[in-house]
Amino acid sequence: MPSRRRTLLKVIILGDSGVGKTSLMNQYVNKKFSNQYKATIGADFLTKEVQFEDRLFTLQIWDTAGQERFQSLGVAFYRGADCCVLVYDVNSMKSFENLNNWREEFLIQASPSDPENFPFVLIGNKVDVDDGNSRVVSEKKAKAWCASKGNIPYFETSAKVGTNVEEAFQCIAKDALKSGEEEELYLPDTIDVGTSNQQRSTGCEC
Amino acid sequence: MDEEYDVIVLGTGLKECILSGLLSVDGLKVLHMDRNDYYGGESSSLNLTQLWKRFRGSDTPEENLGASREYNVDMIPKFIMANGLLVQTLIHTDVTKYLNFKAVDGSFVYKKGKIYKVPATDVEALKSPLMGLFEKRRARKFFIYVQDYDEKDPKSHEGLDLSKVTAREIISKYGLEDDTIDFIGHALALHNDDDYLDQPAIDFVKRIKLYAESLARFQGGSPYIYPLYGLGELPQAFARLSAVYGGTYMLNKPECKVEFDGSGKAIGVTSAGETAKCKKVVCDPSYLSEKVKKVGKVTRAVCIMSHPIPDTNDAHSVQIILPQKQLGRKSDMYLFCCSYAHNVAPKGKYIAFVSAEAETDNPEEELKPGIELLGPTDEIFYHSYDTYVPTNIQEEDNCFISATYDATTHFESTVVDVLDMYTKITGKTLDLSVDLSAASAAAEN
Repeated sequence: MPSRRRTLLKVIILGDSGVGKTSLMNQYVNKKFSNQYKATIGADFLTKEVQFEDRLFTLQIWDTAGQERFQSLGVAFYRGADCCVLVYDVNSMKSFENLNNWREEFLIQASPSDPENFPFVLIGNKVDVDDGNSRVVSEKKAKAWCASKGNIPYFETSAKVGTNVEEAFQCIAKDALKSGEEEELYLPDTIDVGTSNQQRSTGCEC
Repeated sequence: MDEEYDVIVLGTGLKECILSGLLSVDGLKVLHMDRNDYYGGESSSLNLTQLWKRFRGSDTPEENLGASREYNVDMIPKFIMANGLLVQTLIHTDVTKYLNFKAVDGSFVYKKGKIYKVPATDVEALKSPLMGLFEKRRARKFFIYVQDYDEKDPKSHEGLDLSKVTAREIISKYGLEDDTIDFIGHALALHNDDDYLDQPAIDFVKRIKLYAESLARFQGGSPYIYPLYGLGELPQAFARLSAVYGGTYMLNKPECKVEFDGSGKAIGVTSAGETAKCKKVVCDPSYLSEKVKKVGKVTRAVCIMSHPIPDTNDAHSVQIILPQKQLGRKSDMYLFCCSYAHNVAPKGKYIAFVSAEAETDNPEEELKPGIELLGPTDEIFYHSYDTYVPTNIQEEDNCFISATYDATTHFESTVVDVLDMYTKITGKTLDLSVDLSAASAAAEN
């Protein structure tokens, strides 16, 4: 079956509502932060060019668009992901406890061909809040969780001030690239439906 | 829940998801719910386990069929006209960015026990045994007339008012034979029966033009396109559009019950003990079954095969139209086939569907002419469903109910229903010629 070299890498970001998923990707791609909290509106996917060893790749980072709030993400959202980013809020024990659910949901919906080695990255966000005084999930506890899931990488970030965001996404991009190259996906020829030009037919139809 | 919305949409079928997307883009506050834990409702695409559960009442499909997740079996199999209303809607909303499409390999028509490719090029047309040489000349004149016909340019009408002249009359003017009429009316204009012959010719001509324009659009072997991973991708894509514009999604909500006030107006929806308030309710027929009436029945066979349909030149995707007259029926029968090439089945597997408006209570016997064209099948499932239309008065109860999907092999009637509902819900007419993302990009500059 034909396949073409992959230059588009899909990354999805999962986690409870309000942990800062949208802010993280906005900080990484657009270097922006908004203090205004609304359960995600207007976030879709963002793309960023990344370079590794003289090759250019497009990282396509998919937000949940708020559909995770009532566990209503469809299978299409998960399909074809090259890396899964799990995000929790270090000030919310519940968001940390729900990581198991998010990871299991991903493995069920995405059905990766090698689930044991599929790349996850864990992010503990909002380390800036109250100068760290309202923190309830210790770094030690989070690292233990990562170790128990096959030593997945862990980053503590603040989307607000930009702490560690670049570092986290560099790791994500590297893991997505490695995953994407190993997966020899069947990529059928597709057609571009995006243009709205109206072609005039020439000649008779029959 | 326990909030207030402009519109609550029930059921995540394709029609409901398109409406949810359009209404959210318009700035309405939308809550969208479904009793199932997956998107698509009656127009979902099922994996193998879901298929077995639905049709065999068990959770364990045959192991030799391959991984369950590799199957995406459409419950409403239809191809998309490449220049049709659904493509216009996809472009209008920029939902194409969530989807990938392939051209469908070929379209065939059944005639006297055999299938013939519907020509896609001039060369194929000249070689085709569907018509004799002299008939081809007459047909060519007819097609040139249709191609040149422009509703706004009276010169192109050649003295005929197509809003008055019937299709039968215009066909007679070009001296076409019965077999040719059958072919043009059913395989090109895609009419489901022969009622069109005595209707004004304008619809007939427009449909042939749509076929030609769709054929030219991507220059594939047919006028159709089809999404990778099956048609269940479409509701999910429009649902994501709605979510991106603020729509709230709740799957797996049992028994969504519409609440009415003393004067019979919908005021909200209750599920699992919680009530969300709203001004309007949009839903498929199953959520308000007391406000719909049965108008027909569709019968269908769903088949898993390990080979392409015979005599289709090993096509990975194909439509075969069996005109009513060829079968002695009241309406056409349709075959639709897609395969692993569209990521709807594992390598080497094909999914075929035989569909028709039911005229008997015996699907196996009724669909036999179509099934006999398939060759051996690994598995076959039969199902029939009643088709409904709403009977309520929307101004009185603020409920907007979609019609059930018909047996046709394309989506034009589906989108017509959606656009009509959109106008009733909002009071506005949608201009599909505007590309929303291009318009908003221009506004940002």
